[in-house]
Amino acid sequence: MSGDIILIIVVATAVAFDFTNGFHDTANVVATAISTRAIEPRAAIAGASLLNFVGAFISLKVAATVGQGFVAARAVTTTVVFAGLIGAIAWNLVTWYYGLPSSSSHALIGGLVGSVVAADGWSAVSGGGLFGKLIVPAIVAPIVAFTVAGLSILIIYRIVGRLRPGAVGRGFRFGQLASSGLLALSHGTNDAQKTMGVITLALIAHGDISAHGFHVPAWVVILSASAIALGTFTGGWRIIKTLGTRIIKMDPAQGFAAQGAGAAVILAASSVGYPLSTTHVISGGIMGAGAAKQVSAVRWGVAGNIVAAWVLTLPAAAVVGGVTYAISRLFGSGAVGPVVITVVLLAALALVFTRRLQQSTPAPVPS
Amino acid sequence: MIALASIDGGALLKMLYWSLAAGVGVAIVFSLAVLGATRASDMRRLRRSNVATAYATLAVVGLVLSVGIVVLGLILVAHKS
Repeated sequence: MSGDIILIIVVATAVAFDFTNGFHDTANVVATAISTRAIEPRAAIAGASLLNFVGAFISLKVAATVGQGFVAARAVTTTVVFAGLIGAIAWNLVTWYYGLPSSSSHALIGGLVGSVVAADGWSAVSGGGLFGKLIVPAIVAPIVAFTVAGLSILIIYRIVGRLRPGAVGRGFRFGQLASSGLLALSHGTNDAQKTMGVITLALIAHGDISAHGFHVPAWVVILSASAIALGTFTGGWRIIKTLGTRIIKMDPAQGFAAQGAGAAVILAASSVGYPLSTTHVISGGIMGAGAAKQVSAVRWGVAGNIVAAWVLTLPAAAVVGGVTYAISRLFGSGAVGPVVITVVLLAALALVFTRRLQQSTPAPVPS
Repeated sequence: MIALASIDGGALLKMLYWSLAAGVGVAIVFSLAVLGATRASDMRRLRRSNVATAYATLAVVGLVLSVGIVVLGLILVAHKS
């Protein structure tokens, strides 16, 4: 009975994480298209939401990596998964509150690693898996996106550079409708799978699925797809502002190059099972598209703040995940700990959202 | 050494060349589509219909190739996963 209650809390928490992931990452998907006025903000967010949902059904390879690649199955209990999710959600909300585009994916894996370490020690963590499947791709992917976007914009300017700017702008605004759609699709493909992986881990810990026959149940896929789509629809105006205008001011061709590069890298990574951060990748693409035109056009100070948030994400989420597990264990091994933590977290969330809504209104739409 | 051994070089390379091929490939063919459409419009205004048709064809081919690369990429991702 106690195990069932914890499983229900874990699934609900995972869905909440997926929602915050979509909420947090909306900016990555739509910021460039909005900042170049290729699409009206509400339409961009609605379209991204729909494509997020569809994208979640394309692949399951990333879910398998999250479920099997980083922590030993013997160390995973439903309470461990719960604590890891709380670590990720807490970090997502802190970075959202301060308008920093950090990585939801790395927060999730950081939270999970922290709670596993608190429960079973370092021996339960696959250092090789973390290094080879998370850290190296996390470093390489934004560099690839930077390079692809930079090369793309240089070639684009070479081909269309002497044409009428108005016509070229219209052409690439049209192209951005497709590139931002593709980016939304790739976001759904890569990010929704992380939640699927975590819920599946909890189902394995609960004994519903064999650890040897890893597979994601259909209801988990549908639930994860719906949660991320709803989160994206709800949007994240503060981060849109940071990514769309504060890193670099872009023309439609640059937006197209940045989004195309981002989508290409995320989809390529999804096909080999790498749980990438869409935030890292699209920021790399934006900076590549900007730097190729003019290095000084990129606001490197803002980019530096974003990098700092990235570096902090894994350890910060791990600490919160570990502390959450320790607090939960103070109440014993039953459902009391997760229930108490959930109630406290919900109360804190209500307080933060109320204060945030009182302090700010949505960012003005460029006219 | 253990850390290096944990890196799947094949997967990493695959991510690299698929990203480059798809990202840069779409940029090239879509730029050609924009070039074709813009020049076709200019040529029509100058009443050079043959040249305008050639540029319009370039625009259509560029657009079809752009869509083709995207669809092929999605099929590959879905097929491999």
